[in-house]
Amino acid sequence: MAEKPQPVRVLYCPVCSLPAEYCEFGPDFEKCKPWLIENAPELYPDLLKDRNNKQVDKVSEQLQSVGISSGGGDVAATVIPSGGTSTSKQEEVKRLPGGKIKKKEKQEIIIEKIVRNKRKCVTVVKGLDLFGIKLSDASKKLGKKFATGASVVKGPTEKEQIDVQGDIAYDIMEFITETWPDVPETAIYFIEDGRKVAAA
Amino acid sequence: MFKKFSSEDVSSQNQVKASVQRKIRQSIADEYPGLEPVLDDLLPKKSPLIVVKCQNHLNLVMVNNVPLFFNVRDGPYMPTLRLLHQYPDIMKKLQVDRGAIKFVLSGANIMCPGLTSPGGALDDDALAETPVAIMAEGKKHALAIGFTKMSAKDIRAINKGIGVDNMHYLNDGLWKMERLE
Repeated sequence: MAEKPQPVRVLYCPVCSLPAEYCEFGPDFEKCKPWLIENAPELYPDLLKDRNNKQVDKVSEQLQSVGISSGGGDVAATVIPSGGTSTSKQEEVKRLPGGKIKKKEKQEIIIEKIVRNKRKCVTVVKGLDLFGIKLSDASKKLGKKFATGASVVKGPTEKEQIDVQGDIAYDIMEFITETWPDVPETAIYFIEDGRKVAAA
Repeated sequence: MFKKFSSEDVSSQNQVKASVQRKIRQSIADEYPGLEPVLDDLLPKKSPLIVVKCQNHLNLVMVNNVPLFFNVRDGPYMPTLRLLHQYPDIMKKLQVDRGAIKFVLSGANIMCPGLTSPGGALDDDALAETPVAIMAEGKKHALAIGFTKMSAKDIRAINKGIGVDNMHYLNDGLWKMERLE
């Protein structure tokens, strides 16, 4: 091989990062479709056909609903945007690789008191992030309120939790419900002697 | 192998000595003669070659933060899929039938029947224990990189069980790691 072989340029799908021809086996073929129709129609002739059929359906629907058979120019104008939006609507359910549907984690806050040095303790708050609360903000607020150190710590199994110095187990419940009104009192639990006890 | 792979699996990354760099270049050139003319472009002598050590005795060879090759223990260097897509003819190719694609893309090893069926194809020169590119029926580009467990002849003769170990496939952890730091 005397000449340098030129690198092959492969068309990668920006949606799933796979080469375009493997989109159909990718994690989310549906989402790739609009891009594929635009950029690689020759790979999936079926898609184009589908879309054309859909458009025909839509046109006839529109004609029926309006009740007026409008001119050709009008139809073309209304159809073009509708082709793009029809595919993007169906998502909702998040899928893990492997086709399993992701379980929604139970929203609850767990407060635990850990004693260290016999007379000093740390209060651990888990689960604030499940309510969409920013942990760094929360730790700052907690630290300010109780005038102690509060830090975001990576707990077991990659969950982040807040460690607050000192025993604030009983005041903290009131504080949480006051500062974040979307957290229901019933979702807060204490851990006492290894058992989960509802706070309310 | 890369099913679960992320930057957290990286245990260290070092710029390697020139002598080690030479050794890596040499072994890549030996393994893939077709790559020799462009090797200077891929691994420029000037720019630093970084070897990333990961869990499970895995090494990545990286230039300009782009992983280009990987190997396990002292095994042969294998190109990443993105590199293989650019230079598809550097490796021996085995082709699986259409039915196998979705399993390979979720990380399954390649079974012999998928290679011997009408949709599959075998390069008869492929020996056991060598890296190969896994192509797919009706597709232009490789979908995985494998390490043969048997020679092509044996695959045909035995036609049962695992023929090729799946090392690296589309959309696995290494594929998603387009750049590392």
